[in-house]
Amino acid sequence: MNAWNLAADVLIFSLVPLTWIASTGEVRHRIVAFYMGGVIITLLLMLLTMAFHRMPMMDLALSLALMSFGGGIVFAHFLARHLK
Amino acid sequence: MKVIAIDVLIAAAVLVALLSVLGMLRMRDPYQRMHYISAPAALSPLFITIAIFLQDGLKPESFKALVTTFVLIGMNTVVTHAAARAFRMAETEHWRPVPGEEVPIRSSDEPVEQKS
Repeated sequence: MNAWNLAADVLIFSLVPLTWIASTGEVRHRIVAFYMGGVIITLLLMLLTMAFHRMPMMDLALSLALMSFGGGIVFAHFLARHLK
Repeated sequence: MKVIAIDVLIAAAVLVALLSVLGMLRMRDPYQRMHYISAPAALSPLFITIAIFLQDGLKPESFKALVTTFVLIGMNTVVTHAAARAFRMAETEHWRPVPGEEVPIRSSDEPVEQKS
């Protein structure tokens, strides 16, 4: 096990509280946890790419970062207009 | 020496992310919680990217990681602002201060009458 793999294994546990926040409670807290989850999973994909030496997987991290951006904006727009 | 530097950078990236998640758990308000996205969105990918450059040098995956870092930093600033504005609009119909609200405002931010 190299350092990249170990880091990914440790970081994946941070998704547990984020999943809990994102699945319970008020909608604004869920959205913030969803944003944080997108960032953490992007970091995980970067670490796993290096851990497994599968360099094309870095595209997944980049794609997720871009998709999180679009998704975040859409969620914010939806929240402002429809969840009053 | 290079291996140690890479390990330290990876550890720092993970530590920043874990501490931010713990800080987010401690906060009660969504506006406070949003602040904790900044560190893992800015510092952690930067540390990981530097570690990748140290390990692999000027390879395509290193530059992809750099682009991912820039996207995360840019995304965080825009999305956090958009989300905070959306939360505010969902609460008060408008993002500007309402009369009687004690917030530090600029002269251009005139209080707005709230719809009853």
